[in-house]
Amino acid sequence: MKGKLLITILLALALGIAACGPKPTPAATPASEAETPAAAATTAPPAPPSETVTLTVIMEQVPDYDIVAQLTPQFEAENPNIKIKFDAMPYDAMRDKILTSFLAPQATYDIIIVDNPWMDEFAKAGFLTPLDEYIAATPGYDFNDFVGPVREIGVVDGKVYGVPYYNYALGMIVRQDLFDNPDYQAKYQAKYGKPLTVPTTLEDYVQVGQFFKEQGIYGAAMQPQRGYKVFEEWKNWLYAAGGDLMDAQGNVIIDNEAAQKALELYIEMYKTAAPPDSLNWGFDESLRSMAAGESATMISYNWMLPTLNKPGGPAGDLAGKFALYEVPGGKAVLGTWHWAIPHNTPNKDAAWMFVSWLTSKMVDKQRVIMGGAPTRVSVMTDTEVWEKGFGKGYYETVLKILEDAEPLARGPHAEEIINEVGTYLNSAVAGEMSVAQALKAAAEKTREISARP
Amino acid sequence: MISRRLATQAIILLILCLALAIVIFPYLWTLLASFKTEAALNRPLDWNFTPTLANWQAMLHSEIPRQVLNSIIVGAVTVLLSLLLGAPAAYSFSRFRTGGDGARFAVLLAQMLPPAALIVPLFLLMYTLRLLDTLWAVVASHLTFILPLVTWFLIGFFDDVPPELEEQAMVDGCTQWQAFYRVVLPTIRPGLGAAALFGFVLSWNDLFYALLLTGKHSRTLPVGIAGYWTFRGIEMGQMSAAIILAIGPVIIASFFVQRYLVRGLGGGAVKG
Amino acid sequence: MQPLLHLKYRLLAPLVLVLGAVIGYPLAFSLWVSLHNYTLTAIGQAKLVGAANYLGLLANPSYWRAIGNTVTFVLVAVGLELILGFGLALLLHHRATPLRHLFRSLLLTPMFITPIAVGLMFRFLLNSQLGIIPQALKALGIHVDWFGSRLALFSLALIDVWQWTPFMLLLLLAGLEALPTEPFEAARVDGASGWNMVRYVTLPLMRPVILAAVVIRMLDAFKVYEYVYAITRGGPGESTETIQYHIYRVGFLYFRMGEAAAMAYTLIIVVLILVILLFYVLRRSAT
Repeated sequence: MKGKLLITILLALALGIAACGPKPTPAATPASEAETPAAAATTAPPAPPSETVTLTVIMEQVPDYDIVAQLTPQFEAENPNIKIKFDAMPYDAMRDKILTSFLAPQATYDIIIVDNPWMDEFAKAGFLTPLDEYIAATPGYDFNDFVGPVREIGVVDGKVYGVPYYNYALGMIVRQDLFDNPDYQAKYQAKYGKPLTVPTTLEDYVQVGQFFKEQGIYGAAMQPQRGYKVFEEWKNWLYAAGGDLMDAQGNVIIDNEAAQKALELYIEMYKTAAPPDSLNWGFDESLRSMAAGESATMISYNWMLPTLNKPGGPAGDLAGKFALYEVPGGKAVLGTWHWAIPHNTPNKDAAWMFVSWLTSKMVDKQRVIMGGAPTRVSVMTDTEVWEKGFGKGYYETVLKILEDAEPLARGPHAEEIINEVGTYLNSAVAGEMSVAQALKAAAEKTREISARP
Repeated sequence: MISRRLATQAIILLILCLALAIVIFPYLWTLLASFKTEAALNRPLDWNFTPTLANWQAMLHSEIPRQVLNSIIVGAVTVLLSLLLGAPAAYSFSRFRTGGDGARFAVLLAQMLPPAALIVPLFLLMYTLRLLDTLWAVVASHLTFILPLVTWFLIGFFDDVPPELEEQAMVDGCTQWQAFYRVVLPTIRPGLGAAALFGFVLSWNDLFYALLLTGKHSRTLPVGIAGYWTFRGIEMGQMSAAIILAIGPVIIASFFVQRYLVRGLGGGAVKG
Repeated sequence: MQPLLHLKYRLLAPLVLVLGAVIGYPLAFSLWVSLHNYTLTAIGQAKLVGAANYLGLLANPSYWRAIGNTVTFVLVAVGLELILGFGLALLLHHRATPLRHLFRSLLLTPMFITPIAVGLMFRFLLNSQLGIIPQALKALGIHVDWFGSRLALFSLALIDVWQWTPFMLLLLLAGLEALPTEPFEAARVDGASGWNMVRYVTLPLMRPVILAAVVIRMLDAFKVYEYVYAITRGGPGESTETIQYHIYRVGFLYFRMGEAAAMAYTLIIVVLILVILLFYVLRRSAT
């Protein structure tokens, strides 16, 4: 008993010492296993590693991941010294895991995916490896082939920190059969004096929504859920009214007249045309509402269209009746996922080999044909992709959406700003605050958060 | 008198059946959902759907069964460690009044610390010890609240054991430790069982620590079920199947366990 | 051979060491963090700010809202669980009840299900459009918006009641079955029965058990997180932002660990006071 006690005390002390100093410093770049110096400014692409390297990649459990997993054996066959290991998990678990990987002396992950609100934050904190030199050293990569707004998200302070993986820009998905229905067309013409078309202005959208509600179908399956969701949906309305979170000089303008009009119309839509009691609805509920045939339109991710139109999919016998359009006003909220290489991984060269292979024109084309969400202009305008993928109309619309799209927020505090603004927006929709109050509070909060270092 | 008794019985039965219906209805609904296709799930009032086994097949081939195993292992190890460390300590608190009343409170308080306060340092500790993505990291985090609870529970049971028992044993030649180990401990076996069961249930249910401390190989069941909530919506069919898998054995086991639990708990824990 | 320490300390040593490692160190680290403006994205620049994080909480409306929500939740949920649990315990204890064991085993099951699964189950059961319960109520002409701004916190409390009343039932039933029979016989001789019996004999005898059960359940309810995470994420507005969820949000979504640690510590103090108060009441009633 005595000896055991002593050992346990020593163990505890050892633990204490080992665990002290919880402030890890960003590791200096250790020598990689390859013969070539790490991240050197060479004119040739990095040479393959001489010993076997295993790259650990963190992924989110989504269909785009499944496609990447299917493509990976090809890469491993071409690069026998590199093995890829995926760690897929739900979205909510990712941010913490990635962060703790950054803080550790040696990275848990060699390749990570970065959601657009995190990009500035991670880049400014020094967590990501700049990729400009890698891109320059990779022939045929054509970084500018990525659609502008998507590409720009990975560029922070003039340096490239991430390359696009897939987009989740918003579009408007409608039940085309309802718009084409001659009976409805006649009624609408009679009532409003103009033809029933897919709306391109906010006022038209609300009108169309109310019209459908009168016919027994909800005008729009909305997603006013507090936080990220409501802001993601409403900002499209804000753009359509000519507003934005900040102007070009960085002043917060979310409490101006355009914003008030946008929010008033949004609330009117919610009250008069959306399914009742949908205050908490997020993506899942609104999708189900569309799939069950209860709603005529929804603003959602552009790649939901193929899912809804899939025979035997969630829409049942409604499959094939959905169509994708740009949101009213044409400017959409943009979301993206980028590939990035953490600063503290020893396998940067190998990581770049995988990332550049996966996002190269050839492989990206394959990925999109297999159902992935596109990011490259060349891929979206490729006839083979049209044929084997979801059709010319879909890709052309997606390209149009992406060309005029903007993310919810930029800057190192984007995540917090989005959540705070989304809280006030939800309060306004719930009737807890007036439109003016909510927007004013949102603006003040945004200024306060942005003023922090 | 007889009719009055029958009336009482009838009312009691009615209330209990109502309670039972409230408890069982969600299970039945989830069971039903596990056999529905995506399209059918979107139409809850449509009773004419064709049942499918696809959800079950997908779920059983996914990581879920492995995660069930992980949860069981974590629970068992946590409980084992809690009993090994907690029983002697509880005996010390009870028999010797070590640390006085303050110590007992401290033990109780230790288990109500908000997990959010402990998670980041725990993570860094586990990282330093190279225990991340192992079941040991989860066990360590579970010990933070299960070990104190088990100890606190057992103190009550030890309080109920008359000191004459050990005194008799020591008269017969045992040391105090032997008296504890050979005589007192077996007496509180129902208490140990109840504490073990509670500890296991608490470990089984934890999501917060498991979400942040587990990796691909060490994921536990709650994390697996939460994983069905993807960026692209909740996969309700498979998730329902996973939930049924998680609760089915529990319902069956509770038939055997509940009598034992009630007797064990009455022994002493609730008397504080 | 004289042992190094008295037996009572040696019995305690392993426990103290392990808890020291898994609780002591994290607590100390968290205290340190709470005294700095520690953000996970700027660790190298953590400066000592003393009590600033704590003082900042006083003026932070979100924090007080979260505390208020949590206290409301705990009182409603545990209150209902106590009443329902006690009622059911009495019924299951009554000798006249048929099929007691069957009822008991089935009624206890909800407490064993992992809470995230319960949250997700009820999310879809109570969903206004797609849930069977609102649809059924609508057919009866009753219109309830379960997760709207007025009811959301209450709905979460009801889910807690569904899951944890069995736990309360278990503890109270165990207590009932362990009660001595003499007081009841004496009361029956005096002519008491039914409700009077419960009020004047059962309840006083059960007081320590009830208090212990309430304390255990309250401590657990304070940590409510999974239901919020699964269903409302704190909304609508901030009406279901409970304190544990708020700490998670500030610390893990916004990475402001200094503030989060300060919140965690004040929570510990609040619960400490609560527990001490309750134990004083328990001690007084036992004497």
